[in-house]
Amino acid sequence: MTLALRLRSGWAKRSRQEQLVYRLLLPVFVPLFFVATLPFLIAVYESLTSSSGAFVGLANFERALGNPALYTSLRQTAIYGLVVLPTEILLGLGIALLVHRTVSSPGVRAAIYIAAMVPIVIPQIAVGVVFRLVFAPDYGILNILLGSTGHEQILWLSTPALAMLSVATVDIWQWTPFVYLVLFAGLQAVPQETVEAAQVDGAGPWTQFRHIELVYLRPLLLLVLFFRLADVLRVFDAVYVLTGGGPGTTTEFLSLYLYRVGFRFSDLPQASALAVVVMAGMLLFYNAISRFLPAERA
Amino acid sequence: MRRRGILVRAMTYTALAAVFVFFGFPLLYLVSTSLKPRPELFVAVPTVLPRLPSLDAYAGVLFERGFAGLLVNSIVVGLAATTLAIVLAFAVTYPITRLPASRRTRTFVLDWALSLRFLPPIAVVVPYFTIVRAMGLYNQLPALIIVYTIFNLPLAIWMLKGFLQEIPLEVEEAALSDGASRWQAFRMVLLPLSRTAILSAGVVVFAFDWAEFLFAFILTATPQAMTFPVGVQGLVTQFEIIWNDMAAGGVIAIAVPLMLMLVARRYVITGLTFGVIREK
Amino acid sequence: MTRRAVGVLGALLIAVTAAACQAGPSPAVTLTIAAVQGVEDAGLKAVAPTYTQKTGVKINIVESPYGDLYTKLVTAFTANDATYDLIMMDDPWMPKFGTDGSLADLGALGIQKDPDIAPVVWDVGTWPPPRGPVPPTEKDKTAQLLGVTIVGNVEMFMYRSDLTPTAPASYDDVLANATAQNKADVAGYIIRGKATNPVVADFLPILWSFGGDVFDEDWNVVFDSAASKTAIDFLVNKLKAVAQADPASTDAADRDRLMAIGQGYQSSVWPGEINTAVLDPATSQVVGKVAFIPIPKGPSGKGVGMMGNWMLGIPKASQNQQAAADFIKWMLQADTQKTYAQNNGIPSRTSVLKDASLTAANPYFPVLADALQAPPNWRPRTDQWNAVETILGNHLNAALAGQETADQVATEASAEIRTLMKGAGYPTQ
Repeated sequence: MTLALRLRSGWAKRSRQEQLVYRLLLPVFVPLFFVATLPFLIAVYESLTSSSGAFVGLANFERALGNPALYTSLRQTAIYGLVVLPTEILLGLGIALLVHRTVSSPGVRAAIYIAAMVPIVIPQIAVGVVFRLVFAPDYGILNILLGSTGHEQILWLSTPALAMLSVATVDIWQWTPFVYLVLFAGLQAVPQETVEAAQVDGAGPWTQFRHIELVYLRPLLLLVLFFRLADVLRVFDAVYVLTGGGPGTTTEFLSLYLYRVGFRFSDLPQASALAVVVMAGMLLFYNAISRFLPAERA
Repeated sequence: MRRRGILVRAMTYTALAAVFVFFGFPLLYLVSTSLKPRPELFVAVPTVLPRLPSLDAYAGVLFERGFAGLLVNSIVVGLAATTLAIVLAFAVTYPITRLPASRRTRTFVLDWALSLRFLPPIAVVVPYFTIVRAMGLYNQLPALIIVYTIFNLPLAIWMLKGFLQEIPLEVEEAALSDGASRWQAFRMVLLPLSRTAILSAGVVVFAFDWAEFLFAFILTATPQAMTFPVGVQGLVTQFEIIWNDMAAGGVIAIAVPLMLMLVARRYVITGLTFGVIREK
Repeated sequence: MTRRAVGVLGALLIAVTAAACQAGPSPAVTLTIAAVQGVEDAGLKAVAPTYTQKTGVKINIVESPYGDLYTKLVTAFTANDATYDLIMMDDPWMPKFGTDGSLADLGALGIQKDPDIAPVVWDVGTWPPPRGPVPPTEKDKTAQLLGVTIVGNVEMFMYRSDLTPTAPASYDDVLANATAQNKADVAGYIIRGKATNPVVADFLPILWSFGGDVFDEDWNVVFDSAASKTAIDFLVNKLKAVAQADPASTDAADRDRLMAIGQGYQSSVWPGEINTAVLDPATSQVVGKVAFIPIPKGPSGKGVGMMGNWMLGIPKASQNQQAAADFIKWMLQADTQKTYAQNNGIPSRTSVLKDASLTAANPYFPVLADALQAPPNWRPRTDQWNAVETILGNHLNAALAGQETADQVATEASAEIRTLMKGAGYPTQ
């Protein structure tokens, strides 16, 4: 039987309902898939051509990957991630445990719940503005307080080490509540009987944590780690407003570096090559972690 | 034993108080700065609170600088993109949750949607710019609407899928066996039941559209199409940093999603994790 | 509920279409000007309404901060979009726009070179440049006028004349005075050290006055010559020792603020900052106490000022080229220039700069007129300038932050610039 005949009879064998699935889904999903994948195809095309349109093979990739500035940027992004991720997760976990164990009033818990959401929903640009007001020289709140106690002011945003810490603080400020909310909900789901049984057996708070709560929290911790890791690799808005990538290139993380190549130097071929590399990297990253995401994907 | 209990409680509440200060104080300073009149920005020793609070900065931002127009743009783009995203998401989610789609189809669609969550926007700005340029949509609101719709579709799909899954299939089947067509069953039975789904997904998607900066920054050039976040960022200039206007812009930028959050607080975490973590 | 939903959807779609169609044709001509936000477009904003009254042409000024404006212009030109009819560009940007062919020939649109305006003003707006090294790809192009100066900025020097009545004649004097005047709450010299454009703008006059440069006539890099190294050392070691606490983060606004509240003794300054920030009667405490002079002499025997003219150009994609050119002509008229000057604009007409009635309010105008005739130097005219400036700026800024030595700045920046220029097709050695 030819392929066409086989497809036709296979299609006819499906129930009307199953046919309906594809009749409804395909007209919307296929164009959607195409529109969403088109940028990737364009990026690949632009990365293989020069700015005048001539085909140059892998020359742009050589330039992009041979540029030491890229590796500086990656290193700075890695430092940023190493500062931000453990801090957020440990801090969020700590506060979640604290509230879970010692705060019993539902009113207080609800208040904390609402308050925790505020930093998360603030637009990234606005967070940048908020912390500009905290860290700025002369006018920033930190320097005002230092000045009022007689201290010399500190340049949070233009001393390299401090700039990294300041930018990291912004991320920690905005996303620790997210970690808290997820882990707190997770702690709520730990069955009370198991905990009580352990306590009756004489387990102290640390043992209780290690052997019971941590087990339940592990999948959530992994989840939070992945989402935060992905976001750390994508960070742009707040850093752009706070330091613009400076001082020098201290806070020029991956996204900011791509921005500089593509829009300040307007080197679109190189930027496209970088974009392709980044997208491919993200795809690999997603495939690697997708098994840890809930099987409930279907 | 009791003394240790009180000590622990005291330490806990102190720690929590410190956390509240860490999170709350910057926001307080933002609001305080937004209420300062211009002369107070030039004193040699700045103060924390305004001496003579005034709404000058807000009037300045909205009217003198014309940000009211940017506000309108943000709202228009947000509403349009959200509506489109929800409609399209329904078209995709309905077949895979209410009809016997194969497991492979379902997994493929949802997997693809989730993978987009991890894509850095900067990587696609350049190609999208090329597309917008080719279509002649540079510096036009429709360009932003289309881009935002595409970017939020995965989120909308996941959120709707979560809700639709929980509505029993029997509800529609009852209507079908009563002689209704599938479209009628959808319109009269499922849609009313999806009100919460539409509201929560809509609010979360709108909040993301509202906050979006990079694409608006690159794809627009004049206040005709610029959105509010771009305006706020532009207040940080080379020769003057107008702190109070900047703060007022920041406060307005925060106020909108904050109000939305109060409406949809149960779905904030769901939205941020693309429905992977579902709130109870 | 569905009917209502459809109704709402319909209304939304109509609203969206209406909003998106705002760009529809309007009865009168509207000129959209992309301007830089800050002190430089103050004069433009002040005189534009007069033009509208006179001719009925509406002027729509869209402001962006310095860095963003450059990105916006590059993006708009790549999109070949008729968004802007006029653009304000800093003179170092023009080589890129000229090389890319994005700007319209102003001579063809009827703008004539007026002798009342210093020749250097016309030169800086011409592409390819009439002197200095020309990028290899541009050598064969005919010279066209692509930009006309509307902010006649030439970098000058300011110092507190109430503390030292004699002006410093050389950079040695500058250093000596700075050391003498440096106190806990008064910086001997305010370094504008923020990366990248600020610190480079602040440093180039020093570099040139010391006899150094970035490129020579054939595009070879000379940033690591002996003279250049001396200049770098002067900035990041000698001046830094008597400067304010945070040179690496100081931009023009901060520098002006420090001068205005009396916490700085001397610095370089752009004319646009003088009346709007340093001597702003509403906020300045040093009105009448500051004097302005051309850039002091360096070991080379010359003091070399740097021009930072903001020019108006017309994108080729504009649909209103002739109307835009007429606006430029009007901006250059003597009477407009006078009103412009009275509203914090920096005129470029020599007759207006030397007008006695304006000197009281703008004491630096005559100095500026002479500086324009000197003539001042301009930044290297290459389409790679943005990248070069970034390299220079990052290294200078790092040195001011204590991360690099002067020698490292010279060696590393020169190496990076060589690689960059060679990759861009210049015959750099």
